[in-house]
Amino acid sequence: MITAGIDIGVEHIKVIILKDRQIAGRAKGSSGGADRGGMVEQAYQAALRDAGATRADVVKIAATGKGKHNAAIADVLISEQVAAAKAARFLYPGATCVVSAGADEIMAAVLGEKNRINEYTFNQKCAAGLGLFLESMARRLGMSLEDMSRLGAPKEAAVNEGCVVMAELDALSLLNHGVSREEVGGAVISAAAVRAASVIHDITKPAKDCVVLVGGLARNAAFVRALKAISGIEFLIPGEAEYAGALGAALPVAETA
Amino acid sequence: MKEGQVWETRPLEFWAKAKELRASWQASAGDEARVVGQGSTYSVDWAECFPALNVVEDNPGGSMIQAKDSPFARKCRLASEIRGWGREICGYTNNLWGSMFLGYEQDGRPFPLRQFVIPMGAECDQHTKRGQQCRDFSPVPQWMEDHCIYFGEDDPERDVPIIEHNDYCQLRQINDIERIFGQKFNDEKLSDMIKASEIIVEYARDIQVLIGTTKPAPLSAKDLYSVYTIGHLTKVDPQETVNFWKMVRDEVEWRAKNHIAALGTERFRWIEAHPPSWHFLKYYRYMEKYGAVCVGSQYLQQNCELLEYKPDGGIDRRAAPKYPADTPIKTREDAIRVMVGPDARTPRAWKSDEYIRRDSIVEFAKIMQADGALLPLWRSGVGCTLTRKEQAMRLRNELGLSVIYYEGSQPGDRTDLDELRFLDHLDTWMESLGFEKLED
Ligand code: SF4
Repeated sequence: MITAGIDIGVEHIKVIILKDRQIAGRAKGSSGGADRGGMVEQAYQAALRDAGATRADVVKIAATGKGKHNAAIADVLISEQVAAAKAARFLYPGATCVVSAGADEIMAAVLGEKNRINEYTFNQKCAAGLGLFLESMARRLGMSLEDMSRLGAPKEAAVNEGCVVMAELDALSLLNHGVSREEVGGAVISAAAVRAASVIHDITKPAKDCVVLVGGLARNAAFVRALKAISGIEFLIPGEAEYAGALGAALPVAETA
Repeated sequence: MKEGQVWETRPLEFWAKAKELRASWQASAGDEARVVGQGSTYSVDWAECFPALNVVEDNPGGSMIQAKDSPFARKCRLASEIRGWGREICGYTNNLWGSMFLGYEQDGRPFPLRQFVIPMGAECDQHTKRGQQCRDFSPVPQWMEDHCIYFGEDDPERDVPIIEHNDYCQLRQINDIERIFGQKFNDEKLSDMIKASEIIVEYARDIQVLIGTTKPAPLSAKDLYSVYTIGHLTKVDPQETVNFWKMVRDEVEWRAKNHIAALGTERFRWIEAHPPSWHFLKYYRYMEKYGAVCVGSQYLQQNCELLEYKPDGGIDRRAAPKYPADTPIKTREDAIRVMVGPDARTPRAWKSDEYIRRDSIVEFAKIMQADGALLPLWRSGVGCTLTRKEQAMRLRNELGLSVIYYEGSQPGDRTDLDELRFLDHLDTWMESLGFEKLED
């Protein structure tokens, strides 16, 4: 049986095709601007090609992510937290907590029995868009995301940890005062990690022993290093980190289809 | 029958009477022959004892502006902002006084300039500053309605001067208003109102207890919100108000006995702590799609005062010093003393006292048999947000309740409330607990 999960984030669309609960194909595309429906379609077609499947083969499609309401082709909508939780348990059956750090939102969920979520926390609005912020800061600093990913901890520089708009102004101010772009980049990463850690710390009954980190920021080594240093957590990062939402959306429909 | 429906539901019969009372209050509020003052919510209960005095209460005023007319509310807040009242100021405040700065009300009628103002000193500095915009605008007299607070366990010794001061504030306000505006205060009416208010509190408590102890809940918090101002914030005839609350209590009692549900699909009960975003009440109905009913809010609790479990397992008002019901009222001072009461911390303690507020939600959640709580994080106005995170921790740690937040500016300011994000989070909340929508 073939099912599909589509994760429509604010930056990227990720699609996973599952065949008998195994990943058979995947694709990633830009979330697009006005034509998000068209971009969803393109990414979906690409994933089908990757899986060697056709539309007619797919029994059910589930969508998740901030843009899930734009997925006209979806049969079911699944919330991002639930999708991340399903994926974490699928990839690591012993997972006790999942942290998802994407372009727009950071959330942490404590996983309970029967794949239920015991508790979850998410960032407050002023700290939304962390992933987007890192991308835009990379552009401002004239770096690629890969360059950013290689940055170390800042020596002295710091930027606002509460609000990304203020953080950007702080970063510009540092640059104006001659601070190196590597140092500023490190400060930016470190502020992002503090925000993410605060979401994890917000959990009243933490389960820190088997924590899975997913989402686009899980691929940013500097961010992961900083987050680990602040939170003291050794994260499990799956190869599918970026596709976790799509995978988690496809899984429950595979169970019920 | 709807999908998932287990219990019968019926329209509320007290609704028509509630509308009638509200309309008659609104009509009286527009009487131009009256002196118009500005008072704080839950105080100046004595205003109706003056023959021609209208004391407009600030909270419903500011929240009504937002609830009824968002573009006008925006205009009001801008009018406040350009006079130096920043965006971090409570939305109720900026809406209401913004309307004064603009010079007109929502319906275009001239703003009735206040001839005096009585702000309330509370834990929220912005409640306290409510008089300033008005006083700066025109030099009117100001009195303070003080609500001193302190932390820690009850301290009867400390309560004495607090109560003395509260009594004095009220007495002085009445005496001064008599003198300045040349109106005769009706002391007899005050004692009638005090008695009526005691009876209303009893009815309100019965209602809250019935909702908490009955599954399915016979009335939802959303329904209760529609009437809770009657007799408290809206000053109508005391006897008529008593009759109305009796009518509500009797109907709720009947519904409870006959398993008539507020929500026929009830399978998840949640509580909240503070006023909702008045312009966006849609979330109650949205939750109902999941069979989730809001059974109470600490804010609504003020009608019945704090509840607590008694040693016999029953539920009653929180034990607090109280004058006996037959305390003689011979003088104005006697009346004021009975009205203020011998307890410095109730009934508003849940709101103005951080210590009690934090603890009382746990008791409240238990009494209401809540499965979860939805708490607001308001960005402007400390009083509306204070202790929310602590409350969440207590609810999670002590009761294992599922708690989520939503963010906004303040109940009367829609600026920061992302309505779609809010609804998305409700979906997530319900899905994470394993619920699916019963209808869409
Ligand atoms: S923020 Fe809340 S508590 Fe403070 S003044 Fe406004 S309504 Fe009152």
